[in-house]
Amino acid sequence: MTPGLLGQLVDWSWIGAHLTGGDASTPSIRSLLVQHIALTVIAVAIGTAISIPLGILSYRRHAVYVPVTFVSGILYTIPSLALFILLIPITGLSFLTVEIGLVSYTLLILVRNVVAGLAAVPADVKDAATGMGMRPRQLLWQVELPLATPVIMAGVRVATVSTIGLVTIGSLIGKGGLGMYIRGGLQTFFDTEILVGAVLSLLLALVADALLVGIERLLTPWTRRSDRRTRRRGRRELVGVAGGR
Amino acid sequence: MATTMISLRNVTKRFPNASAPAVGGLSLDVEEGETLVLVGPSGCGKTTALRMVNRLIEPTSGSISIGGRETGEMDPVELRRGIGYVIQSVGLLPHRTIGDNIGTVPRLLGWDTSRIAERVRELTALLDLQEELLARYPGELSGGQRQRVGVARALAADPPIMLMDEPFAAVDPIVRARLQEQFLDIQARLRKTIVFVTHDVDEAIIMADRIAILNVGGVLEQLATPEEILKRPANDFVKRFVGSERTLKRLSLILVSDLRLDPPDATEADGEVIDPGATVREALDAILAAGATAIRVVDDGGTEHGVLTLDHISREVAR
Repeated sequence: MTPGLLGQLVDWSWIGAHLTGGDASTPSIRSLLVQHIALTVIAVAIGTAISIPLGILSYRRHAVYVPVTFVSGILYTIPSLALFILLIPITGLSFLTVEIGLVSYTLLILVRNVVAGLAAVPADVKDAATGMGMRPRQLLWQVELPLATPVIMAGVRVATVSTIGLVTIGSLIGKGGLGMYIRGGLQTFFDTEILVGAVLSLLLALVADALLVGIERLLTPWTRRSDRRTRRRGRRELVGVAGGR
Repeated sequence: MATTMISLRNVTKRFPNASAPAVGGLSLDVEEGETLVLVGPSGCGKTTALRMVNRLIEPTSGSISIGGRETGEMDPVELRRGIGYVIQSVGLLPHRTIGDNIGTVPRLLGWDTSRIAERVRELTALLDLQEELLARYPGELSGGQRQRVGVARALAADPPIMLMDEPFAAVDPIVRARLQEQFLDIQARLRKTIVFVTHDVDEAIIMADRIAILNVGGVLEQLATPEEILKRPANDFVKRFVGSERTLKRLSLILVSDLRLDPPDATEADGEVIDPGATVREALDAILAAGATAIRVVDDGGTEHGVLTLDHISREVAR
């Protein structure tokens, strides 16, 4: 895109004026970005807090797993707009309405990943840990959950990125973070506003994902070290160097 | 006479949906300080029998006691913390460093950190592991190193009993032989009561003070010293299981110095010599390789111990 075309599409002075300062009809970029982040963080945090115990329970008892994935699957298939409208009579045009919707959508992804993460813990590791005298609770906290972390974190990443996208739908009931610009711009045919809303949501998703990758690495130092070693060994074998212990 | 450490009395394990019991009415005693090897074909219930000792599997009937106490009446977690446990796949905690892995049971027992660190260092030295490995993760170690860490971890809280389920089966034969040697050295010093499971009769012969040969369904076919089993197999099953080289295997359990030799000047043996610490099987190999009928026994210092002849060997076999 040439600067000329971008210049036609984007009203830079509007962006400059709305960076931190809003007006009666349009809030500032900063305030909507903060709202977007807050809506996302709260939704993913609550979703994770519900999903970990629910996932553990589902993993332990198949009788729980089936209804849990069934209900969260149904929640997931309800169109977000319909869900918000269903909730309005109960919780009104509030943040609570948006958060209930957002949390519902994280559950399916997160519960499934918690269960998959726990199921992927090697049986011999659990056997050895039990054989050494770990109690079930110690096994869960010291072995199963840490080893399930990479898979759980993969779920948190997907849930976060999809929540950042879903937040924009909240604009239809007036609580949509950067989605407010998309909706506002669509109503007034103002391209700059739409672009700012869409591009910043996208950037936010990318930054959040990168941040979560960093957190995952900090939480699971053993995976990287082992990978590196395996790769090194692989290279040694490739070049035929013996004794790669 | 040694005292009984572990006692199985008429122990049966029947798994749900299985037509026959995995272990059927097994009774045996493990004496304090001995290595008892459970060996048999797959499906003989040897692993099941082992796992019933630390109650990872609960017997359907019968009783198991340790030091005279019924295990069924103990807290299974406390019981397990007092028993070292080593499995074929080692099962090291992949997210914990080697040092933390070795210190697992002491930490569960609530030892303070300085005592754990000291114990970990002791075991690192005992198992001949480099200190620099302690900060690594299991994924960064070789198979042989991981097996040694597994043994170190099982020994950490100095339990009187060790249960070992095919602990050296996952490594190549050269590493396995080294681990076996090292383990025999350590056991000679520590005198733990060990129950050791293997499917490999040669490993059983090397490791065991006594061997229990199990048949499918956990039926005990013979319980005796390796020498006794090789010399007098109780029945055809044992004979077949022990294999065709029974006599040669027996000779590998006897040292040249165990035999009465001819005096040094009695025969004119040729240039080949053998150390008195070698096995009779090695001596036989050396005699046959030299195309001779006898070999001079000379130690490292050059002292002549005498002459070993084929006659000596066949007399020993016939005993």
